Amino acid sequence: MSRYDARRRTDALARALCVAAAIFGLGWLALILIAVLLGGFGGLSLSIFTKMTSPPGANGGLLNAIVGSLIMTTLGVAIGAPIGMLAGTYMAEYGRYSKLTFFVRFINDILLSAPSIVVGLFVYQIMVARMGHFSALAGGVALAIIVIPVVVRTTEDMLLLVPGSLREAAAALGMPRASIIGQVAYRSARAGLVTGVLLAVARISGETAPLLFTALNNQFFTANVNAPMSSLPAVIFQFAQSPYREWHRLAWAGALLITVAVLTMSVAARVLSARAANK
Amino acid sequence: MSSQGAANSTQADAAARMTSAGAASTGGKIVVRGLNFYYGEALALKAIDLKLQVNKVTALIGPSGCGKSTLLRVFNRMYDLYPNQRAEGEVLLDGENILDPALDLNLLRSRVGMVFQKPTPFPMSIYDNIAFGIKLYEKLSKSELDSRVESALRRSALWDEVKDKLNASGLSLSGGQQQRLCIARTVAIKPEVILFDEPCSALDPISTSRIEELIDELTDDYTIVIVTHSMQQAARVSEYTAFMYLGELIEFGDTSEIFTKPREKRTQDYITGRFG
Amino acid sequence: MSEHIVRAYDKELETLGRRIGEMGGIAEKMVVDAMDALSSVNNELAQQVIACDPRLDALQREIEEHAILTIARRQPMAIDLREIIGAIRIAGDLERIGDLAKNVAKRAVKIGPESRAPRASVGLKHMNDVATEQLKDVLDAYAMRDAERAQAVWTHDAELDALEDSVFRDLLTHMMEDPRNISFCAHLLFCSKSIERIGDHATNIAETVYYLVTGGTLPAERPKGRPDAAAPQLGTVEP
Repeated sequence: MSRYDARRRTDALARALCVAAAIFGLGWLALILIAVLLGGFGGLSLSIFTKMTSPPGANGGLLNAIVGSLIMTTLGVAIGAPIGMLAGTYMAEYGRYSKLTFFVRFINDILLSAPSIVVGLFVYQIMVARMGHFSALAGGVALAIIVIPVVVRTTEDMLLLVPGSLREAAAALGMPRASIIGQVAYRSARAGLVTGVLLAVARISGETAPLLFTALNNQFFTANVNAPMSSLPAVIFQFAQSPYREWHRLAWAGALLITVAVLTMSVAARVLSARAANK
Repeated sequence: MSSQGAANSTQADAAARMTSAGAASTGGKIVVRGLNFYYGEALALKAIDLKLQVNKVTALIGPSGCGKSTLLRVFNRMYDLYPNQRAEGEVLLDGENILDPALDLNLLRSRVGMVFQKPTPFPMSIYDNIAFGIKLYEKLSKSELDSRVESALRRSALWDEVKDKLNASGLSLSGGQQQRLCIARTVAIKPEVILFDEPCSALDPISTSRIEELIDELTDDYTIVIVTHSMQQAARVSEYTAFMYLGELIEFGDTSEIFTKPREKRTQDYITGRFG
Repeated sequence: MSEHIVRAYDKELETLGRRIGEMGGIAEKMVVDAMDALSSVNNELAQQVIACDPRLDALQREIEEHAILTIARRQPMAIDLREIIGAIRIAGDLERIGDLAKNVAKRAVKIGPESRAPRASVGLKHMNDVATEQLKDVLDAYAMRDAERAQAVWTHDAELDALEDSVFRDLLTHMMEDPRNISFCAHLLFCSKSIERIGDHATNIAETVYYLVTGGTLPAERPKGRPDAAAPQLGTVEP
């Protein structure tokens, strides 16, 4: 029975290592969350949502940064998600067996992990330099370029998960291709597709580098997409580097806001996909 | 959807044009001549010749891999969904060759319906599952649609069990009920031929009996082809049986003959459990 | 015939065949012995024959039960189905043959003391020999699953019919010659009827064997009285 004992010992050891690794990883996450919470909580107040960023000394808020982030995130999703979904639909439905799909998937996976600063520089070159000024539009485009690979990947994966028998059943009724995709495949994969978009949104909420080269920053409140616009990550970057304590407080508050937003969206995505799995 | 409007009465026209002329002259509702089927380069069906009679049940039996499902899926060109599969030869539905590449596939599939092995209700309500198919071909008022849905559900012996929950999701039904829903969905668009691909293999014996009873009733109005790996089911349900082996049609005849005194030794060996 | 994938199925069919063989052997012996008891006025032998019958009945019930269980278990098709149905039918016929032989033996006991005119029973013995031959042949045909042999038995029944006619006339003559013969010859008349029916049952078995092997049936009308009438040609089917 010594073989058995040796196996049990190995099992116990492996299990201990796994638990330790989990605690180690989770521990750091917990520490970060606590740090953000502690640092940011003190800076939270209603004025954050009502006042613009202002020079140190004056009581400022984060209104323009919050609005700017919202506008550019929306732009990024509005541009990137439809493109990503349609591309993913092509890859999973029309072109499932084609060579083009193979190449697109390959490139898409590379883009997924492309450094976001490179994306920012690229958009700087094609939009900011051409237009002659920074703009929220350019920022939105840069974010869209980050959204697209994520949505393509999840759309294709979710659509591939729809059982072929369901498609065949729809085809057997004489349903045209577009109907099968729109009314059967999309409906069936609905939760997964929404999850994909949510994950993309969560991803771009915290992107800083691309925005620095495209939307820059703006002290004042603006809703004009053709002008530089501030965003939470850019403001945090600016304030954190400064020597002013007040700005530090605001930066922590901004970090807390972003963290809470991303957390909420990730949890929502999980809940949605769990509910879909249970159906 | 553009096809909905265009196909408003086209289905009825096409059926009327074809039915009387073709069926009688070619000797069967569906006549197969010299059918060869390829998966890529591999020949899966070899020179099949077969005649399926109108309003009768024909069973396709044979060991795994003999090509019976492949043959079934030729009748509604289901293989067209996949790139590497092709068929050569002639398959005449009421005299018209359905292997013709210019044929309107959606129209074909409205005349030849299919019920699959695994019940596949759409992710919609029970009502929508059935209304969906109808709406593809006909423009009906709400009350007409209601009565069509009801008659389809009655036809597949499901009405009494779901009449109070037509808005519940199709996926909330039991396996046997889901399969009957799929049959109702197929019957609702009024095809001429119904193909069953091992419809009961995922079901318990009582659901199986219900569906066999259903097939019995449906055969009055539809031509039915059923693939089954249960010989007893084939014997119970069909009037004609085709035995296939390794892609060839070995024997075809009256079910009563095949199961009491088959002509071919291979047929007898299979149905008595001496191989396969 | 190759074997079933499930070997127990083969064993069950084999058991049926063996039991039929056993029944056939007993029935054959009963037919021969009953006639012997009659012609040699052997009371003991007659009693032995009568004592054999319950065993035959029991065998028939066993065969039926076994066949029914096999049907329930195996859902037989084609040749297996015909085998099992055939076994049930043949068991029934063999049991009746046993009963008829028992009847002959019983009459032998009744006649015993008043035996006269042994000439009269010669024709009867000849009839019995033919019937025994038929039975033996048909049981061989069953064992060999030989449809042609079965068909031959089926045609030869005509011979037995003809013999019965002549025995009938013979016995009538005896009865008319001497009224004291009437009682004795009347018994013999009944025996000849029994033997003729033994032949009929053998013919039934032949029809069953033919059906078992080919799946077809021999025509309803047997050519009567003309032993060399050719049987209509039916398509032969490979089992």
